[in-house]
Amino acid sequence: MLVVDVDHVTKQFTKGEHTITPLRDTTFQMERGDFVSLMGASGSGKSTLLNLVAGIDRPTTGRITVAGQEITGLSRSRLARWRAEHVGYIFQTHNLVPVLTAYENIELPLLLLPLSRSERRRRVDVTLEAVGLADRADHYPRQLSGGQEQRVGIARAIVANPTVVVADEPTGDLDGETTGQILDLLQRLNTELGMTLLMVTHDLHAASVASRRYRLEQGQLIARESAVVAGSLT
Amino acid sequence: MIRFGPYILKTLWRHRTRTLLTVSGAAVALFVYSFVGAVQEGLNRLASDQSHHRTLIVFQANRFCPSTSKLPEDYARKIEQMPGVAGAVPIKVYMNNCRASLDVVVFNGLPAEKLKATRQLDLSEGDWSTFEKQRDGIVVGQAVALRRKLKVGQKFSIGALTTSIAGIFTSPIPSEQNMIYAHLEFLQRIKGLNSVGTCTQVEVALTADANSDAVCRAIDERFRGGPISTDTRTRGVFQARAVGDLIELVGFVRLLGLACVALVLALVSTTTLMGVQDRIREHAILQTVGCTPARIFSFVIAESLIVCLVGGGFGIGAAMCALQFSGLALGTEGILIAFLPSLALAATGLAIAAGVGVVAGLAPAWQAANAEIVPALRTA
Repeated sequence: MLVVDVDHVTKQFTKGEHTITPLRDTTFQMERGDFVSLMGASGSGKSTLLNLVAGIDRPTTGRITVAGQEITGLSRSRLARWRAEHVGYIFQTHNLVPVLTAYENIELPLLLLPLSRSERRRRVDVTLEAVGLADRADHYPRQLSGGQEQRVGIARAIVANPTVVVADEPTGDLDGETTGQILDLLQRLNTELGMTLLMVTHDLHAASVASRRYRLEQGQLIARESAVVAGSLT
Repeated sequence: MIRFGPYILKTLWRHRTRTLLTVSGAAVALFVYSFVGAVQEGLNRLASDQSHHRTLIVFQANRFCPSTSKLPEDYARKIEQMPGVAGAVPIKVYMNNCRASLDVVVFNGLPAEKLKATRQLDLSEGDWSTFEKQRDGIVVGQAVALRRKLKVGQKFSIGALTTSIAGIFTSPIPSEQNMIYAHLEFLQRIKGLNSVGTCTQVEVALTADANSDAVCRAIDERFRGGPISTDTRTRGVFQARAVGDLIELVGFVRLLGLACVALVLALVSTTTLMGVQDRIREHAILQTVGCTPARIFSFVIAESLIVCLVGGGFGIGAAMCALQFSGLALGTEGILIAFLPSLALAATGLAIAAGVGVVAGLAPAWQAANAEIVPALRTA
């Protein structure tokens, strides 16, 4: 089942007098349960594509459909509500809310959904268990290690059981051992829970855990170790 | 929104020094506003008392301070016999300060039987018989007793006057609570005043069908050729003339109170804006998670509202306590304006605090709600 459909999307923005085009007529699709990695040099447009799929940025031209909803025409408010239901976002720098405990950070997306307090508690507890942080629920971000913070970030991204989880260099700030743990966790989310994941990374090793790998070069999407793919890359 | 209550409260607590300083600012401003409001209310109360239009005050003509008005005491008996007059009471006024003061002590000397008949006084301590028996006996309004820490049985001296406190009374009329009543004859015999047989003013009660203006004219006409000419007005007009200067002053002070509120608006707005600018990235994270711009807007408004309501609540509460327990009154020329706490004043203060909270949060909330997510996520 098609979950992500990026259809001839171009993204341009101006910086001073220059027009920058990080994505040029890009077409890209993901099926339910896919684990896709996107690599590319800095400024190649991989984060831009990720942000477009996550609905936090808008394309200049083209259409993006995620979870059956064409999101390019949605208002900011409708897009936010759509994100709450369908997208989990894992940041490179964790981006936890510092005044909230691990439990409260993970609960944040659930507060936006019509769920009872007990249901929210159940889901957060299950998710904390899944990321191995059940004993850190009451800890604040400053009391956690980098790896633990990232696991809280992952828990926050998956707790609402979103249609697609996007991860922007989720291991970029972590040491080797912690990177391994996080990649293992992401892989388990995909294989055991069937989550659809789109991950941007610089790291070849990180990219290798994905079932499908792509590179972005000069705004063009290229299948890894293959020639330029003009058109759909399903 | 309630679900995000802990987040909003923790956000305020994050920069607790800044928050507490802003709360303090709001508290001080609303304290000032409430206090000034109480003065204004006291003036309004004085002006709106309808009974003041059915009571006349006869004063010596061309005299403005109670210390200089000296009417023959028997004027009261003569006035009592005039048409339209239900009763007349000679009153000797003695006070520690003729000018405007926050701690003016006003003695009104009346014949004891007239005092009980014309005033709604309820003795909370002491008894009337002691007052009637003691030549130097006084009954003291509760507010003065509170302010001056007076107790029944004590001696109370002020200026050339030394009195014995026979009772402490309460009254439904707020300004009465700041009054001290003594025997007329006792005040007439204060050393150095040379006022035996005279009184400061005569208080005249009208019959139900009497025309107040006509009776005023008749009284003044009656004594035009006498030893002392009179100037008779309704109590309302008499008091308005006495506090005329204060009305302007209180109006100006009221403006200062409003200026304090405006200052809080600027203070809270600045603090909230600083808070928002510190959290550009955090708001972007919340939007990424799924918070709508309207929700972010409401978070910021809620922060600003809480700061103003908490600060305002403290300030208003402190003002109400101070007004309740200080027994303050502004006096001028023997007229007293009591400052009292009131629910209406507290409710108005809280409404103003809430309004300021919302208005102060508008600009920061708009900025937070309309920040683009991706650039905001890249901020440090």
